[in-house]
Amino acid sequence: MVKLRPINKKEAALYLGYGKNEPDQVILNLMDECEGPLMEACHPSFCYGIFDIELCSEERVVLSECDLELTGKDIVKLLTGCGKAVLFAATLGAGVDTLMRRLQVGSMPKAILTDAMAGAAIEQICNDFQEELAVQFPDLKQTMRYSPGYGDLPLSIQRKLLETLSAGKRIGLSVTEGNMLTPLKSVTAVIGLRDIKNEEERSRIRDMALQDATLNAELSVGDCSKEACAGCAFAAKCHRKEN
Amino acid sequence: MKNGTIKILDGAMGTRLQAMGLPLGGIPEVWNIAEPEKVTSVHESYLAAGSDIVYTNTFGANSYKMSASGYTVQELISAGVANARRACAKYPGSQVALDIGPIGKMLSPLGDLAFEDAYELFREQVLAGKDADLIVIETMTDLYEAKAALLAAKENSDKPVYVTMSFEANGRTFTGTSIECMALTLSGLGADAIGFNCSLGPEELTPMVKTLYELTKLPIVLKPNAGLPDPVTNTYNVSPEEFADCIGELLPYGIVATGGCCGTTPEYIAALKRKAVAFAEEEKRTDLPAKREVSGICSSTEAVWFSEPRVIGERINPTGKKRFKEALLNGDMDYILSQAISQVDAGADILDVNVGLPGVNEKEMMVRVVKELQAIVSVPLQIDSNIPEVVEAALRIYNGRALVNSVNGEEKSLSSILPIVKKYGAAVVGLTLDEGGIPNEAEGRFAIAERIVNRAEAIGIPRSDVQIDCLTLAASAEQAVVAETLKALKMVHDRLHTGAVLGVSNISFGLPNRELVNTTFLTMALQNGLTLPIMNPNSDSMMGAIRAYRLLMNIDKHAMAYTEAYKDFVPAKAEAKPGAATPAASVADETEAKIRETLGEKAAELYAAILTGRAERGELLADEWLKEGDPMAMVNGVLIPALDTVGAGFEKGRIFLPQLMLSASVVQGVFVRVKEFMASSGQEQVSKGTIVLATVKGDIHDIGKNIVKMLLENYGFTVKDLGRDVDPQVVVQAAKETGAPLVGLSALMTTTLGSMEETIRALKEAGLNCKTVVGGAVLTPEYAERIGADYYGSDAKATVDIAKEVFHC
Repeated sequence: MVKLRPINKKEAALYLGYGKNEPDQVILNLMDECEGPLMEACHPSFCYGIFDIELCSEERVVLSECDLELTGKDIVKLLTGCGKAVLFAATLGAGVDTLMRRLQVGSMPKAILTDAMAGAAIEQICNDFQEELAVQFPDLKQTMRYSPGYGDLPLSIQRKLLETLSAGKRIGLSVTEGNMLTPLKSVTAVIGLRDIKNEEERSRIRDMALQDATLNAELSVGDCSKEACAGCAFAAKCHRKEN
Repeated sequence: MKNGTIKILDGAMGTRLQAMGLPLGGIPEVWNIAEPEKVTSVHESYLAAGSDIVYTNTFGANSYKMSASGYTVQELISAGVANARRACAKYPGSQVALDIGPIGKMLSPLGDLAFEDAYELFREQVLAGKDADLIVIETMTDLYEAKAALLAAKENSDKPVYVTMSFEANGRTFTGTSIECMALTLSGLGADAIGFNCSLGPEELTPMVKTLYELTKLPIVLKPNAGLPDPVTNTYNVSPEEFADCIGELLPYGIVATGGCCGTTPEYIAALKRKAVAFAEEEKRTDLPAKREVSGICSSTEAVWFSEPRVIGERINPTGKKRFKEALLNGDMDYILSQAISQVDAGADILDVNVGLPGVNEKEMMVRVVKELQAIVSVPLQIDSNIPEVVEAALRIYNGRALVNSVNGEEKSLSSILPIVKKYGAAVVGLTLDEGGIPNEAEGRFAIAERIVNRAEAIGIPRSDVQIDCLTLAASAEQAVVAETLKALKMVHDRLHTGAVLGVSNISFGLPNRELVNTTFLTMALQNGLTLPIMNPNSDSMMGAIRAYRLLMNIDKHAMAYTEAYKDFVPAKAEAKPGAATPAASVADETEAKIRETLGEKAAELYAAILTGRAERGELLADEWLKEGDPMAMVNGVLIPALDTVGAGFEKGRIFLPQLMLSASVVQGVFVRVKEFMASSGQEQVSKGTIVLATVKGDIHDIGKNIVKMLLENYGFTVKDLGRDVDPQVVVQAAKETGAPLVGLSALMTTTLGSMEETIRALKEAGLNCKTVVGGAVLTPEYAERIGADYYGSDAKATVDIAKEVFHC
């Protein structure tokens, strides 16, 4: 079972627009109050598959033994030079949706705090997965997590992506008519895996990973590089950019 | 006595087809037509290994999943049944099961598929598969979806129906359904066998099968995976022999049919067959645990057993409640839902739902309220109506097993209500009155109770599902009869052995200090056999009586619940602890000084309470104000200025969203008091005007819209909230009906911005003269302009400013 560690409240505060400011004590207390029910409502799980990239050119990526085709310039740019692609799906489970509906009737302040903390929680699940993946494949460098809807990677591949992973059966994830994931606190993504050819590059990447780890320890923010901003629909209003 | 035969089902289909060349993510059902020999050969391999029943290759053959297949559901299912039938031809006695899996999208409220639409999808499959010998509904993780499928099967076919659900290692499905809830709901709805398939291996399912055995009288179906999958290779870790050994141990536990799911092959089935053949000749075991006899009801996630006193919350009922009546007439769902939450928080185990009021379409309102309630609370519901159509409509869409309140001894009631209760597998309250009214003597009431129980049993509703209500009459009017009610209660408990319901609060009608009488009567009734008091759980003394009773009767073992409830108990006269610390935000400002000067100290305090987000303090001060002051002076003189101050701080980046919402929720609480006050004093409510709000079609993220709604209501606007995933025409209709000068639209994703544009266009095409304001995480002012919106609301505060401009206030 996937385990959730205590939720990073700084990360949640970022989502709430605090930027470099700290929430005051009343809000921090309220966050503590919200954390228990949220943790209880969360049943985090994920599933993934690793596929060989058969073709990656112009505007199309074809994966081996799978019916899913990734389209668009941005995904090609991301996966160029990668031998494999990881398809990944994660969710906090349906309990969080129920909790959110209830809080929106009972207490909007708690609802928005819980929503932000749930955002931090799913981020944590994704980051933990990527760390595990890095341990599993020490000689492969991961690209950023790239989700349907980023850049020109169409959201409409959502359904096929879930079917390819049997994500409905494995973690209870499905999409709506508008290709939105349900349960709501869920993520799907493509991650490229690139061979690290020589020792020099390996050590350079290890250094970078160390730096990343320091940054993560400070903020526990995912892979929000400039590369990510370019494709991110929320870039115009992102609170992270200030950091 | 020998065990007898157990039917052997088949093993995995999808993975076998993939091994034959079906790509990952490809549609297996298409092969029913494109590669019928391959599909038939899989069936044959299982029959050869010993399967008695094979599942058709139609797991996902619903019109949603098959939309891109190029075939109709009828074509794919007919071909699927024919393939299985062809394979079975060589194996006399073998049977074809029409396989129905989940639709592939979530039902509302989790997703965007309506229960009624899910029913239609399943109905189509059932009709298309009419040539099969039985129906299997499998791999369900949502009890609501399983219910839709089972209803579709029972109403459109007379074949036996098996229903199996998939559980996680924590004993719940993805949507939180427990084994108890599955057993209660599906047994009630008339499944022929229930059980488990997929997600786990036989070892993990072992304790679950044993639990289910105790909970249901139905036979059990078991189709586990071949252990647990490797996350990368997707291969399974249990061998055929281990698989069969493990299931072999479970065969005595009511198993009627067993096979394998993901990762199993004919080898697994052959090993299982050998076990079953040997088992058939063994003597029946006599040391199995007893079945649970007590009845219960449930939501999709929480079961409540009638084994001890349970509190039914009475507050969702318009009788004698002006504010509730008003909420029903205006469709003010938030108020109704808040009543539910406060009762659950206070300890209600079950909620009574009564929405009968002249001027309200009871059936429509009941369905709407039940749907909304089951989306936010997990306690089971009691459907309170004596109109058969209302009861049926509610039971049909209820996600779980409900209690119906009520049937009575009149022939008309018995013959119309009981069959509905039976069909939907509910439990029922029986009122001890009939054509002759309520008998005064206990014996008369008992006789009616007995008649109700007999009639229920005659149509197959077990006695344990009937809860008798001996009826409370007001002590002020019928003082001598109180003792008869208690006597009847005791007779029912001792002689009928059913549970007993009572509307406790009626006892004190017309008396002062009602709570004292209620609490005393409640205690007396509990001692005489009351198990389901219908009462106000927000009454501390009544809830206290229940907790104390459970403690004293040794139901609350080691006084765990009692101690938990009163661990922070402070005797009433002692000084209560001071409230939470004041937040860092500075409260002393010019506005506060001005309010103190013009409206007095209390007003300034209320202003400060809003700024610092202290809800209890704010409501207390508002109550004091309402005793003598003018409510509108408070709204305009204190609430609005306070909101303006917070809003200005938010705009300047000194105050953040959670603080803004904290202040807004204080104002919301105060507004509830104001509304209650105005309703009870017969005053018209003053609104600044109506605004229609919606999250656009295709978008199901509505927290942003709800934040805006709250703030608009704070400022005195009436908000017609259409919810999420709203069709453009519904927005047009609402704008027309309300004549709202402003329509607010919200969208989270870039992909739903198209719906936003379409909605604006529809409003214009309808010739409506309203303005539009749009907002959402990915919107920009430029985009808002491009899609023809009149305003761009960058956040909730900005949207309020726009509303003020549009309404000139």
